[in-house]
Amino acid sequence: MAGSNSGAAASGQGNVLLWRGLLLITLLGGWEAYGRLVSEAWFSRPMLIFARILTWAGDGLGGHVAITLAEMLAGLAIGIPLGTVFGLVLGRLPVAAGILRPIIFGLYSIPLVTLAPLFIFWFGLGLTPKIVLVAIVTFFLLFFTTFAGVQTIDREMIDSFRLLGASRREMLRKLIGPACLAWILSGIKVALPYSLIAAVVGEMLLARAGLGYLLMQASQQIDMTGMFAALFVLMAAGVAIGETVNFIERRALRWRNL
Amino acid sequence: MAHQLIELKDISKSFQREQTIIAALSPVNLAVRREEFVAFVGPSGCGKSTILNMVAGLLPPTTGQLSYDGAPVRDLNRRVGYMTQKDTLLPWRNVADNIGAPLELACHKTGKTGRMDKIRQMVELVGLKGFEKHFPGELSGGMRRRVALARMLIYDPETLLMDEPFGALDAQLKLVMHDEIQRIVSLGHKTVLFVTHDLSEAIALADRVVVFSSRPGQIKIVRDIDLPRPRDVFRIRFSPRFTELHEELWDELKDEVKKGTDT
Ligand SMILES: Nc1ncnc2c1ncn2[C@@H]1O[C@H](COP(=O)(O)OP(=O)(O)O)[C@@H](O)[C@H]1O
Ligand SMILES: [Mg+2]
Repeated sequence: MAGSNSGAAASGQGNVLLWRGLLLITLLGGWEAYGRLVSEAWFSRPMLIFARILTWAGDGLGGHVAITLAEMLAGLAIGIPLGTVFGLVLGRLPVAAGILRPIIFGLYSIPLVTLAPLFIFWFGLGLTPKIVLVAIVTFFLLFFTTFAGVQTIDREMIDSFRLLGASRREMLRKLIGPACLAWILSGIKVALPYSLIAAVVGEMLLARAGLGYLLMQASQQIDMTGMFAALFVLMAAGVAIGETVNFIERRALRWRNL
Repeated sequence: MAHQLIELKDISKSFQREQTIIAALSPVNLAVRREEFVAFVGPSGCGKSTILNMVAGLLPPTTGQLSYDGAPVRDLNRRVGYMTQKDTLLPWRNVADNIGAPLELACHKTGKTGRMDKIRQMVELVGLKGFEKHFPGELSGGMRRRVALARMLIYDPETLLMDEPFGALDAQLKLVMHDEIQRIVSLGHKTVLFVTHDLSEAIALADRVVVFSSRPGQIKIVRDIDLPRPRDVFRIRFSPRFTELHEELWDELKDEVKKGTDT
């Protein structure tokens, strides 16, 4: 019985994969046919796009990807820990949180893109303005999710831990932090794709390298194939990020799925 | 005269919820000697847990004076270990790490090997051998209560507050735990406040049983349990004196339990 069940499940999975493959081939094939029949000037076509990606791959695409990734990682490395710590600490200090609330919401409501010119003005053309942009976006995302996480912790849990003799620091490290882990991870999950957006937006405004720069260059030359090639690379980067996050989440939260 | 370890003088408690004030506990007076085992029984909602919360310093009394070892309880009372009615295990830690948690804190700091030894001892004591690596989510209610018990006992607090610790256990296991608790309490010279729904359990374990009346809670009767120690918890129920005490206290309790279910 169990054997035939799992067999059915496996073949169901196989069917899904088969349909996905068919759908993808149909979409790409339709696009290719349309491009060849009508005009490739406005839509380009998959063969040209993949050929372009291959050409780029031999000609510095890796460097651009590395630049964008570096901006993301540096920004995340600043934004995630800062946002988490601020969320944890302010989450335990309701009075301070109340005082800072309007400032935090005021800053948060400024649209991200509008800050980019300011940072380019302050920090120049290099990686720094993009890193700052990524750091700010991820800081807020982590701050808000972590703060919300702290509010959900059971009062009695905190009391009983204090009674065991936990100091303020031990409380944060051994109770509040781990209890918020699921929230922190979901914050990171949202922050990662946003970090890609922030880095690319920064590069599109002014840069000398990076995926956003590639996209911008292609668009200024009205090079459709180049634009789609850059978008495909971005899409692949986005999917890779999403999968990484899912993997980490499954690992870290084993106790949740019991 | 020397002071008692725990003294409640005209202690009452009311809670404010929005505009209404709920009287949870009418003024009560109670003094608990060092090394005394006192059991609280009474209908639910009569303020038993509230008293434990106040003794632990988690809640201030609305009126009256509460002192511990001669000094008023103002802040957290860290000389008590508190096994709360609600589960407060850390869901992301396995059984062993939950039990060992107090020893990781600076105030009870114990080296890794010492901690492991103690954890092993405690795991055996509460009968959870083989479950060390399980998470709380994988355990039954009774098993979780035993983990909570071990977590409280591992750092050896002088006073134990236990709120319905064995409610979720089956009858046989309950008796085994009674035996262990009795041993720990007498060897460790502990003072105990023990809340339970089970009158037999209260009589079998306690030096005094306090019966509360329904909300707002009041002490209805305090009864000395003059059964000799050490007690054989497996057989004490069959002794005539036990039956007498049980009948007497049940008469007091049953009216209150009825009132409790009427409302
Ligand atoms: N934090 C609180 N806020 C409001 N009411 C409370 C609170 N804690 C307890 N109460 C109320 O006080 C009464 C006594 O509660 P409790 O001490 O838990 O009773 P018991 O443990 O005897 O069942 C109950 O009616 C309960 O609803
Ligand atoms: Mg209670």
